[in-house]
Amino acid sequence: MTSARPSAALQPPADTRRIGRIRSETISTAAIFALAIILILASRFVSPALGSWDQVDTIITLASFLIVVAFGQGLVILVGGLDLSIASMITLGGVLATTWNSSFGSEWVVIPAVLILCACIGALNAVGVIWLSIPPFIMTMAMGIIVASAALGYTSGTPRGASPEAFLALMKGSVGPVSAVLIFVVIFALLARALQSATAFGRRLYAVGANREAARIAGVATWRPIMAAYAISAVCAGFAGMMLVGYANGATLRMGDSYLLPSIASVVIGGSSILGGRGSFAATVGGAILLTTLGTVISALGMDQGWRTVIEGAIIVGALLLLREDLIARLRNRSAG
Amino acid sequence: MSANLDVAAANAPGSNLGIAIRRGLTDGAGVVAILYIILFALYALWDPSALTVSGVTNLSNNAAPLAIAAAGESLVVISKGFDLSVAGIVSLSNVLMATYPVEGPGGALVSLMICLGVGGAIGALNGLLVAVLRLQSIAATLGTMIMGQGLALVIMDAPGGTIADWVSYTLTDVLFGIIPISGLIMLAVVALWLVFRRTDTCMGIFAVGADETAASLSGISVVRARFTAFVGAGLLYGLAGFMLSVQTATGNPSAGTPFLMLAFAAVALGGVSLTGGRGSLVGAVIGAATLMLLQKVLFSGGVSSFYTGIFQGAVMVLAIVFGSVISRLASTGARA
Amino acid sequence: MSGAVCALDVRSVSKSYGATVALQDVSIELQAGEVHALLGENGAGKSTLVKILSGVVKPNVGTMQIGGERYEPSAIVDARRRGVATAFQELSLVPNLTVAQNLSLPRQAKGRFGLVSGAATQKQGAAILNRFGLRLSPSAIVAGLTLAERQRLEITRAFACNPKVLILDEPTAALAETDWLFGLVRQATAAGASVLYISHRLAEVRELCQRATVLRNGRSIGTVGLEDATDHAIFEMMVGRSQAEEMQRRAATGQSTRPAVLEAEGLAGGSLKDISLTLREGEILGVAGLEGQGQRALFRALVGLAPLASGSVKVDGAAVRLSGPDVALRTGRAIAFLPEERKTEGIFPALATATNIVLPVVGRIGRAGLVSERLERDAVAGSSSEVDLSPRYLDFRVGDLSGGNQQKAMLARAMQTGAKILLLYDPTRGVDVGTKQSIYAAIRRFAESGGAVLLYSSELPELVHLADRCLVVYGGRIFAQLSGADINERTMVAALTGHSIRDTAA
Repeated sequence: MTSARPSAALQPPADTRRIGRIRSETISTAAIFALAIILILASRFVSPALGSWDQVDTIITLASFLIVVAFGQGLVILVGGLDLSIASMITLGGVLATTWNSSFGSEWVVIPAVLILCACIGALNAVGVIWLSIPPFIMTMAMGIIVASAALGYTSGTPRGASPEAFLALMKGSVGPVSAVLIFVVIFALLARALQSATAFGRRLYAVGANREAARIAGVATWRPIMAAYAISAVCAGFAGMMLVGYANGATLRMGDSYLLPSIASVVIGGSSILGGRGSFAATVGGAILLTTLGTVISALGMDQGWRTVIEGAIIVGALLLLREDLIARLRNRSAG
Repeated sequence: MSANLDVAAANAPGSNLGIAIRRGLTDGAGVVAILYIILFALYALWDPSALTVSGVTNLSNNAAPLAIAAAGESLVVISKGFDLSVAGIVSLSNVLMATYPVEGPGGALVSLMICLGVGGAIGALNGLLVAVLRLQSIAATLGTMIMGQGLALVIMDAPGGTIADWVSYTLTDVLFGIIPISGLIMLAVVALWLVFRRTDTCMGIFAVGADETAASLSGISVVRARFTAFVGAGLLYGLAGFMLSVQTATGNPSAGTPFLMLAFAAVALGGVSLTGGRGSLVGAVIGAATLMLLQKVLFSGGVSSFYTGIFQGAVMVLAIVFGSVISRLASTGARA
Repeated sequence: MSGAVCALDVRSVSKSYGATVALQDVSIELQAGEVHALLGENGAGKSTLVKILSGVVKPNVGTMQIGGERYEPSAIVDARRRGVATAFQELSLVPNLTVAQNLSLPRQAKGRFGLVSGAATQKQGAAILNRFGLRLSPSAIVAGLTLAERQRLEITRAFACNPKVLILDEPTAALAETDWLFGLVRQATAAGASVLYISHRLAEVRELCQRATVLRNGRSIGTVGLEDATDHAIFEMMVGRSQAEEMQRRAATGQSTRPAVLEAEGLAGGSLKDISLTLREGEILGVAGLEGQGQRALFRALVGLAPLASGSVKVDGAAVRLSGPDVALRTGRAIAFLPEERKTEGIFPALATATNIVLPVVGRIGRAGLVSERLERDAVAGSSSEVDLSPRYLDFRVGDLSGGNQQKAMLARAMQTGAKILLLYDPTRGVDVGTKQSIYAAIRRFAESGGAVLLYSSELPELVHLADRCLVVYGGRIFAQLSGADINERTMVAALTGHSIRDTAA
């Protein structure tokens, strides 16, 4: 009988785990949100004005920009790259939104136009990375410098114009007792997480990020997810720029600068591997909220902004030390009996 | 793939002309040196004062901080790592010097020791996190950079302070009327490198950068190689911060921020492979000088300062593409 | 045992990595002047033992002695100092350094001021190359050497330490002939050194070694004198039961009239010189060849991973240009590829098994591109049962599974694609016996249901067991085409080394 199933005596030794995988993503997501909540609650003890619902609302509003940007950055990191151009893309998105808004009339034409332009620039990043074999670090950094310089020249140093109405409404408006931004953040987070973790596209991103060659062998046309990730990152950054403009009702030329490193930090704190192939957006959101909360609490406590930065850095190092693969593997082994 | 002709040629007994020429072309330092010479020629055309002593001194002073920082960065990159802490260390050194100025040549020495101490300490921390605890270098140094940056902000929350006069006057000056002191310091760094190149530890850094497993199986201590690279880099960043303070004569807690991108740009421009195991510190130094010169060239060429960035970015990308094309041509030629 | 002190005495050594036990209570001893073979299938624990002996890892339990004195190396340099040198299977040469520099590692030759001297290093290197008859330039960069040259260099480096105990791990994997190596080994043992020789190639082992220790599943099964032990007995120790009964030939099922699904004509490029083949529906076409004879290039070219300098490929009779595995999956009745190294080219360790299996076709399983883990599990239920992969593993991270289960998952992936042509490259590499049987059965069922399989295996018994026809690749060309009764180990071994079938006729 040449095709019979092999006898039981020849069965391979069973893998020793009794339960399925513990996801490192679940651990870090839970830990981060817990930390953020603890921070908010703890600040209540310092002053009753802190830790209130209003403040949570403010924190989410302040974190909204970082959450949007960190999604794009997270996708690029997931696929094995890095996007250092987002600071300039934020600026570009904001600057163009205000400048074109006053020149071209309908903002419902301007906004998509700007976002499409952002997507094209992101795609250019991908072209350099994939086909010219330029390391992502250098390619996106160079693109960032070029875009920033272009924006500088285009506006001759002084961005003009008012924010599009849509973003004013988004950032300042409210739906009942809840601010519009909060609703936006929740919907965005849900959709973004779904895109990353519950679509075929997302699966391919994880595969390409884990091992590009293996993904290619497994039949994935690797350039597509990579290009999409860079394009989405650029679009997210541009969109965040418009949000910032709506929030401040104007654009400034370096407004994106303070979001670059925090975007990477949020992704790292959220437990994603900086090398790609692992991570979850839910945890990244937690990281973004944690960082924003930290900043808010520190300034509310009247501490030097410098300390905020020091603690931020310490949290990053701490998160890296705690979320190491070998530690998590040991945790898994211990619980698997 | 004749990857590291730099290493081979450096150790080959009496390289012949053919090897020397090919090495000159494919070695990143050679390409960027040619680029620098072309740029300098352009610059001299537009602004003849570039050829005077004060012109050269100006260029040297301008390039020194970045050149030294890039030198440090190249050490880590060769070991297959990324060191983002350059920004934090430079800021911190600058701010310390501006907050605690110490006069006179003795004071200069004290300030230098402080800068080196800070750089070495953070470098050692990086070494601990990456070499010993095996964290990813780009993420760990992101953390230490942010911490360093934060400490700088705590010490000085806004630009200000004063740098000691002796330091800012003397070290931006010339020796014997023609040699810029900053140039001598850059040369000293290069000289140190040329000596360090011929040590087992440095060979270990190159080996680890190319193939960590093979290096370890060959008896090289991977931990020691990486740790040394980070500490060496940290010391150089401290020195770069010192030279920056000397040049700007003021303190600024964000002084180091532009160094982050520019240091990597200089390293890549200088032919140091970002995947490790290949390149030379000399290339990074020349790369840094080229970037700073580019700025000046564009300015004297009448390009609006707004658009400088476009050129810098384009040059970076073109240099890398050009470099990889050349090395691919050279390797097919070598095998034939 | 005589009262003489052993050159190397390993007692009850065990090593675990977390929950995985790599070695359990292994003992082995080497006498001076002996060449002792270490045998075992992939995954039996040989490389762990090598690492322990070389000082790369420390055992959890057990003791070792060299010449009667305690041996507990903390690092490779430590082991070398005690006289133990190793030529690793995964070569330990640093690619961006020169031959001479690699030979001196970790310390280079010094000149003035205690600085490294390139000239002195070169001289030292040249002397060593000379001494061992290796014709390489000391200033050549290792990255530019061929695999065979690198293997010789690795071996030379180990010998150059004048070790008392020499460990050679698969030293002939890339070598075309063994005379040079065997000469060196005999020289060393005549001078009193002992050699631990690890190889899959029993013929070589018999020629060179006196005794053999067999490992299986991390345990040492026994030590035998090679003069007295038969191949059959050794196989039984390695594999756990008599192979002879299981490895029957597949009944010939007359495929010559079936349509050709894959035709290659005059393929050339890289190590391929000129290969043509025809694969028919329902057929299992075996490919046999020594390391580096072009079979890897052949498979990769057929799936579009390597460019072809010339030649044509037809799928279902239509000429195609396969530019990549993604294109291959959409061409004709679809070609799926199972790569050589599952660890580096196959699995995505952090992702679930079901995700790994369904990845090539993940876009087809949900609506509007949405997927979920449940959807993935349901989608792969069929293919995973085909390969006998227990459904409870589908949720696990595939990196946590044993090598055998990982390989089953890889095969399931190939079948999940719905491709009717499978290119399987060494599908049972590093896999335990039970898994091998499951994989064989799955391949057979695939062929019986009308699929076509191009199968390369480094283990001849497998090809004997499965293949309807067998091609022998040598020097980038098809050296022999075997079918029917010609598919037996003796004929194949002869063909593999370039001897015509006629030469071996009884």
